[in-house]
Amino acid sequence: MDVEGLPPTQAVEELALEGEAAAGSGARGIPGRERADRVRTAIAYTVMFLVAALFAIPFLWTVSTSFRTLADTVAGFSLLPRHWTTSGYHEAFHTFNFGRYTLNSAIIAGAITLSNLVLASIGGYAFARLRFPGREVLFMLVLGTLMIPDQLRLVPIYLMLVNWIPAWVGHVGWHDASFVNRDGVILIQLVSATSLFLMRQYFLTIPRDLEEAAKLDAAGYFKTYRKVMLPLAGPALAAVGILTFQGTWNALFWPAVLLQDKSQYTIPIGIASFHFAYQTLWPPLMAASVLAIVPILLIFILFQRYFVAGVAAAGVKG
Amino acid sequence: MAVAGAKRRRVRGLGSERTREGVVGYGFVALPMAFFLLFFIVPIGYAFYISRYDWQIFKGPFVGWGNYRTLYHDSVFWRHAVRNTLVYTAFVVPLQMALGLTLAVVVNQSIRFRTFFRAAFYFPSLAASAAIASIATYILASDGLFNTILHHLGYHHSNAWFAQQSTALPSIIGLNAWTTSGTMMLFYLAALQAIPVDVYEAAAIDGAGAWRTFRKITFPLLKPGHFFVAVVSVIGALQMFDQSFLIGGASGGPNYSTLTTVLYLYNQAIGNIKFGYAAAVGVVLFAFIFTVTLIQRLLFGKAEVA
Repeated sequence: MDVEGLPPTQAVEELALEGEAAAGSGARGIPGRERADRVRTAIAYTVMFLVAALFAIPFLWTVSTSFRTLADTVAGFSLLPRHWTTSGYHEAFHTFNFGRYTLNSAIIAGAITLSNLVLASIGGYAFARLRFPGREVLFMLVLGTLMIPDQLRLVPIYLMLVNWIPAWVGHVGWHDASFVNRDGVILIQLVSATSLFLMRQYFLTIPRDLEEAAKLDAAGYFKTYRKVMLPLAGPALAAVGILTFQGTWNALFWPAVLLQDKSQYTIPIGIASFHFAYQTLWPPLMAASVLAIVPILLIFILFQRYFVAGVAAAGVKG
Repeated sequence: MAVAGAKRRRVRGLGSERTREGVVGYGFVALPMAFFLLFFIVPIGYAFYISRYDWQIFKGPFVGWGNYRTLYHDSVFWRHAVRNTLVYTAFVVPLQMALGLTLAVVVNQSIRFRTFFRAAFYFPSLAASAAIASIATYILASDGLFNTILHHLGYHHSNAWFAQQSTALPSIIGLNAWTTSGTMMLFYLAALQAIPVDVYEAAAIDGAGAWRTFRKITFPLLKPGHFFVAVVSVIGALQMFDQSFLIGGASGGPNYSTLTTVLYLYNQAIGNIKFGYAAAVGVVLFAFIFTVTLIQRLLFGKAEVA
């Protein structure tokens, strides 16, 4: 895995800028082609609208059901609720504890996002700018962690959180600590290789002159990072923050492994357990699903282009 | 810069400046590196170590390759978990690629609302798998939207799609092909935009039609893109967990029909507290995925889209 040959960063950067370079439309200006082009465009529009509708229907149906009464869900087909009610949301929040789960999801995703921003930006700055022996090897090691699948890590990490970590923190006076819980979920995701990679790549694109000026000023390395580099890294920080938040907000695997106490459930785990317990209680289940989706939808609408940067970073996995 | 360097050399010497930079560098990466070492590198060796013991709630006796021998004869693992995972991968990967490529070609046309369409096609990839799975369960329920539509089309299907042994896995395949097609679309879009425009101009001058241009020019030129998407898709498919866990439960029901290898491992570890055995499953799966990645690399060369 060599860093220079990493896949689609450049092409995807263009995408991030909403690059309008339209391949596949080079036929303009050729005589006799205009009609064929118009037919093609019409077909493309039709297909796109149909597919977009197909993609949207499940979500719209979910929203529609979340505002129904239970009786309404079994009374045969109707596009909109026969009686609009927010009781599905009320039940989800109060009877089935999704208020608590939403808070838990926000705490876990928030903590992991914050620590990713701090650790990845400091580490990314060092990997991009500071010279120290073994730097390239260490960075390869970071990227190499992307090849280690979660299923291999499940058992060792579980046992480390049960035995090793509590013993270690016991030595420094934190007794009876437990990590098979929310703290464990946060601890094992403090920083990701993807975040570090994104930050390093971005710092590499910042011109060196700015730091040189700071060095002449005799500003220390941390000051250079803090006062010069960090303020310039806004887009990268936004991408790392948004992607980390989205990933951890949606995550199922580690919470399913580590969260045993119901009061610490996240929304996805809450949905899973609700789903098995109350199969056909659709309105609150759909309300919970809306709850899981809406924050990500809002972030997506506001910051679309940063998600594309994440796809570029996912390319690291190749 | 040269002046500043000279000045500094007089004061402290170049060596000390370099040393300082090195020490600070190590300091800045220390925390992330310690983290990666502890939670990624150490677990590789530790997983193998655990797999050599009869390790349940507590560490039991050393059993050598015992857990691996048990796994070799474990019919639930091979007949259901491995089989389902391979069937799932064999179907979902081509579907994802075909859907992703189609969507990419369509939204790569120069037409209005392109950004909107891209966003609409991409969004299912970003929504929580738990929400998507519960929505799918609802739509594919016995009296759900899908069966209602089928009924109006004159086809009567009265069972819940996820509850029937014969339709559960195919339904998950369809579901995941849909949700991940947006991600594959973005990968293909990046690959499409890397194709130089003059290639198309030459084709147009030669009078090649749209389909011929796609078949003879676009598709072959996308080879690096195909490879990249295939790798990402296969690696993802071999590790499928969420939808089986959410829809089939930890046991991968009904009757193991949605049990995947990762779900099986999860169940052995968290459900049955057989850590030694689960660790052995993890080591075998890791070796398998690693081998598949290597083979793909040898067959197609390096992954590059741009």
